[in-house]
Amino acid sequence: MEDAKLKRKIEKLLNKEFSGIEVSIDDGIAHLSGELNSWNEVVELGHKVGKLEVEEVVNLVTAKEVKAERREKPGLKLPKKIYDPTLPKSADVVIIGGGVTGCFIARELSRYNLDIALLEKECDIGEGGTKSNSAQIHTGIGEHSGTLKKELCAKSWPLYEKISEELDVPYKKDGLLVVLTKDTLPKVPSFIANFVSRTIIAHVIKSKAKKVGDEPRIVKKEELMEMEPNLTDRALVAVLMPNYGIICPHRLTEALAENAVQNGASIFLDTEVIGISPNGEMKKVITTRGEIEAKFIVNAAGVYADKIAEMAGAKEFTIHPRKGSTLLFDKGVGDYVNHQISEMKLPQDPHTKGGAVLKTVDENINWGPTAIETADREDTSVTAEEIQSILKKYGSIIPNFSTNSLIAYFSGVRAPTYKEDFYIKPSKKVRGLINVAGIQSPGLTAAPLIAKMVADILKNGGLEMVEKESFNPIRKKSTVFEDLTLEEKEKLVGENPLYGNVVCRCEHVTEGEILDAIRSPIPALNVDAIKRRTRAGMGRCQGGFCGPRVAEILAREFDIPLEKVTKDGGGSELFVGKTKVSLMEGK
Amino acid sequence: MIDVDVAVIGGGPAGLAAALSAYRNGAKNVWLLERNPELGGILPQCIHDGFGNFIFKEMLTGPEYAQRYIDEVKKTGITVKLNTMVLEMGPERLIAVNPKDGLLDIKAKAIILAMGCRERTRPQILIPGYRPAGIYTAGVAQRYINMEGVMPGKKVVILGSGDVGLIMARRFTLEGAKVEGVYEIMSNPGGLTRNIVQCLNDYDIPLHLSHTIVNIKGKKRVEEVTVAQVDSQMTPIKSTKRDISCDTLLLSVGLIPENELSKMADVAMDPITGGPVVDEAMETSVSGIFACGNVAHVHDLVDDVSKAGETAGKGAAEHISDKIKKRKVPVIVKGGRNIRYVVPQIIRNEDFDKRITFYLRVNDVEEDVKLVLLSGEKLLYKRKENVVKPPEMVRLTLLSKFLENVGNELTIEAQK
Repeated sequence: MEDAKLKRKIEKLLNKEFSGIEVSIDDGIAHLSGELNSWNEVVELGHKVGKLEVEEVVNLVTAKEVKAERREKPGLKLPKKIYDPTLPKSADVVIIGGGVTGCFIARELSRYNLDIALLEKECDIGEGGTKSNSAQIHTGIGEHSGTLKKELCAKSWPLYEKISEELDVPYKKDGLLVVLTKDTLPKVPSFIANFVSRTIIAHVIKSKAKKVGDEPRIVKKEELMEMEPNLTDRALVAVLMPNYGIICPHRLTEALAENAVQNGASIFLDTEVIGISPNGEMKKVITTRGEIEAKFIVNAAGVYADKIAEMAGAKEFTIHPRKGSTLLFDKGVGDYVNHQISEMKLPQDPHTKGGAVLKTVDENINWGPTAIETADREDTSVTAEEIQSILKKYGSIIPNFSTNSLIAYFSGVRAPTYKEDFYIKPSKKVRGLINVAGIQSPGLTAAPLIAKMVADILKNGGLEMVEKESFNPIRKKSTVFEDLTLEEKEKLVGENPLYGNVVCRCEHVTEGEILDAIRSPIPALNVDAIKRRTRAGMGRCQGGFCGPRVAEILAREFDIPLEKVTKDGGGSELFVGKTKVSLMEGK
Repeated sequence: MIDVDVAVIGGGPAGLAAALSAYRNGAKNVWLLERNPELGGILPQCIHDGFGNFIFKEMLTGPEYAQRYIDEVKKTGITVKLNTMVLEMGPERLIAVNPKDGLLDIKAKAIILAMGCRERTRPQILIPGYRPAGIYTAGVAQRYINMEGVMPGKKVVILGSGDVGLIMARRFTLEGAKVEGVYEIMSNPGGLTRNIVQCLNDYDIPLHLSHTIVNIKGKKRVEEVTVAQVDSQMTPIKSTKRDISCDTLLLSVGLIPENELSKMADVAMDPITGGPVVDEAMETSVSGIFACGNVAHVHDLVDDVSKAGETAGKGAAEHISDKIKKRKVPVIVKGGRNIRYVVPQIIRNEDFDKRITFYLRVNDVEEDVKLVLLSGEKLLYKRKENVVKPPEMVRLTLLSKFLENVGNELTIEAQK
């Protein structure tokens, strides 16, 4: 649709529902400005405009109730003693963002003879949405037809078998049971609803699943209860999608990053991009660690992708953060479910697949996530309402589950655009900038093909890409003591006694493994990074016993005082100083 | 494979006493396995006094109390293995590891579980909000201050009035930090009265009963917590919400017996105590596996923990010398009116000891009650109590001859 016509159409919508909002159209992209009362209205506006024939929505409308974003002043967060790499002067490709998407791209590009630098503003990779991901490898059944999300997801999930083997990360296919219950159609009389669920809905789901390459089958109640003895009695019938898988997003991201580094890419943590300026054929990327010239910039900055694009002079989309909270239960209750389970309730929320009960690769049980729009890009809080709603929703799928084994809850922020689809394309305005934005679920599943897509865009954009003969796709994980046989354990401790020093009691993580994490190609620089790498502190005591020991090891290895050790990067110091410090101040 | 008579898992007060007692009662080859680099369990970080009143008739600090036992252990032939973590366990068999010996495959005629307990954490009480640095359980903060010499924070809010939290309120204050207050969701304090007086009142630290924390703010480090009063259903009352600026939230919200190994060995558990079901010799449902101290149920006083260790050690020694004769009919011990739990939960030995001690906790505070021991309708024993409180464990010791003619069930209750 031409811009003028599109503008009239949007103005009609604005006059009717959102008075006082201005719109302009630039090359198919709608730009909205003005002020509304609440953040929900701002999001609703964006979604309504996004539904029209626009390519994307730049929604700069503010909400009266939302205070201006408070951003920390950019600057290095870690002392030089802990982390002090030197940024190169230039690179063929600079990737901004070290989440699973950015790391997949780095690894994909490391197949070629290129200088690659990945910049991550946090003190570890995978610190954004990645670490709170539900970890599911979707098949694409939940996505709307015609979206890039669906296309990439359906083609991507079959790749995971090979990827997990190459990168030595755990991956398993538990399969997903979409369960239809007496509450699937709450507004319809129950005898009709039951009939419709069994006959029509189950078959619709089955045919959808077939289209994305899964091998679905309808499971009748009797068999269903045998497969999942703890399932609610409200269940009527289910559709089993056997190819639904699960992976550990953090281990995957770590493996990708390591493999990329192994193949010549450079990854810089604690390196925030604060400006991008054109410089002839090159672009100058200004960071908290200095400047770097890049032929191409890949913007994989997650919830900050629109800010990065804007820095480069390309306002082409807006990210509206949507957080998702998850409850995590202890291992040992893992037998309670055998598949990923979700209950279908119609009508569905258009912006989430609704979450699931699932068993992680480590046999913890996961309930969630929620889907809540928020104005704050770093709103990783979990509210009381969310906790209660998760307990209610999933507690009704597997009743009698003892929630006493709850060991953690956390939230992550998704990074959708208002078109609610992946936005992977070269910038219209800035040559050499490739936006990889709007990566929300099923972004983890689609990431391998997102990376390939980026490689193609670079090739078409004129980057000379010669495949390296030396590329090695194989990466081996470091030792996991707990997974070894007794004989292997004995041999290992004999060779290196540090593997005989169990630091984390709940997960049986040894000092040797913690040192491996600190000395890995992507060094673990803080307590949380060690937790994600090794699982030390991830168990039922949540670091009560091993926290002090891990902090001590970090202090020793980096030769810093204990009070400089952080939970997850600068500003999260565990201690305010030595004892007696407050007494001294009083004097 | 290493053959031992008695293997004790855990070198805290329960394990130390158990190992000594097993040795003194005739077990030759006793091994004491401790996962920390030092013996004593939690005691080395408890630098306040108040330990040993019953056993030594003295007020000792935690390290002093532990040292008395450690010194005794050193005089014996007990083998102590430090830095040693037990990885797997079944009846009579343990797999442990330490940096010096590597993997240890141990066959033991008797095993004593003395792993202690751990602190409940934030998720178990569902506090919403962010997950920044600055949220510590009271015991972890105690370790940092007293053993590592670092201060977790300068402005502290404490949730829960358990004993460790109260002790830490005082400790933080003595270190120059400001303790804004202690918030307790229940309408009664969770810790011992003496600790309320000596740790809060003496330092003008306010105790807010029927209050809880409803939010934690701060993305990197705790910046603020929101407190609210709760109604009788323990639901926070919105109109009472109040934000408190602080850098640290300390949690003292209960202890959980550590029984991962016990479960591995298929020991029957008591859902109320959170520990194994034990008899009067502290033997569990699995023959030859004993449990004592906080692994069986959480105690208030270390003296009682040591006593339980002694009992278990004696039981283990007698088990391997086949001295214990089982009763034809075991006696099931039950808690009646206003009794939350009783340990031991079962009596099944003949002539194990001259006296038998029941440890019990009540559900609710009550004044002027009689604690009675009933066998069916028959009153076996009674004792007057001025007041009983959930945080204060009750000890009931009687001569075992009292129990000679009981049937197969014994009830202890608090009568008005």
